[in-house]
Amino acid sequence: MDDSFLLSDGEVAEFIVKGYHLVEPELPAGLNESIADQLDALDHNPGDAITEAVPELWQVLDHPQVKGALISLLGHEYEVQSHRHWHCKQPHSGHMNWHQDGLNNRDTLINRFLGLYYPTDITPDMGPTVIVPGTQFRNAPTDRMAHYTNIRGQVPLVVKAGTVAFTHYDLWHGTAANRSDHKRHMIKFLFRRTKENEQPSWNHDPESKDKPTDWNARDTAADPNNILNFSNPLQVSQSDHYKERAIRRKNWDYLMGKTA
Amino acid sequence: MSQPRQRLLYLHARTPSVFSDIIGLTQIEPTAGFRVEISAEALEWPYKTVHDALVDGWQIVQFPHLQAPFDDRELDVVGYEFILQKMEVVDG
Repeated sequence: MDDSFLLSDGEVAEFIVKGYHLVEPELPAGLNESIADQLDALDHNPGDAITEAVPELWQVLDHPQVKGALISLLGHEYEVQSHRHWHCKQPHSGHMNWHQDGLNNRDTLINRFLGLYYPTDITPDMGPTVIVPGTQFRNAPTDRMAHYTNIRGQVPLVVKAGTVAFTHYDLWHGTAANRSDHKRHMIKFLFRRTKENEQPSWNHDPESKDKPTDWNARDTAADPNNILNFSNPLQVSQSDHYKERAIRRKNWDYLMGKTA
Repeated sequence: MSQPRQRLLYLHARTPSVFSDIIGLTQIEPTAGFRVEISAEALEWPYKTVHDALVDGWQIVQFPHLQAPFDDRELDVVGYEFILQKMEVVDG
């Protein structure tokens, strides 16, 4: 594995804080188009067997840039889980409201997350996935999100063809309406840690964590200490922010290989 | 003669103070077929704070519940929910 594809300290800290990381792998020419054409032609949803229906999807998962991000965040022995799903948002279909996947029995440590692969360019009118960075450590029944529509800081995944969006399993997400005449394809994969880190699995600079806390540059922090301290993507209150800091630190120490 | 109808505004603020910034906004008009939806476009909100909405004539009909058990570790929903209304004659 070429170390140049591993994430930096700052990128790992940003993932902890925001709950997502985008990779734009340089895939072989024509691969995205071929996958999109095959998805367009599918007349049923094969569920977990989507990788048997479209085996070229493995080329995306095996790309060094994709593997580099996975190793960085889930360790060298990460697992591609057997559940995967083709989300085809039909033309002229409505939005899907905010939700967290699964039940409200959550683990704030980074042990699993999703990879969302988009084989075509996604424009705002195509029904992009919309995420809310910074919500991944919240534990809220989906019913209690019914009063929310738009949330400051939400990010529509308006991305170019081939993008893989790694999103924390508990990140609040929804979908905008698809007002276009095109199907919006997304393949969702799940990844899981199988072994706790004994040391950092990314391009770690031992000196980076010792950068002093800089109150004057908290909005432009690029080192893990200051990112974990100051970043506040939702602009939440001090009470919530302090709680987030504690969870972030616990995650950082866990990924560094310290006992959580 | 048309009767006033209840327009609703759900505001999720940073803190229970009406002066704190809004994190979430949902406005519901009492007209047939009205729907809200998540937007993929840049957000343009008419108010920055709950107080801005009060100045514009909205009335708070439910304040955020503050009797939740104190917990210094867990995080749940985003912001503090104010529900506001305007009773107005509307078309549609």
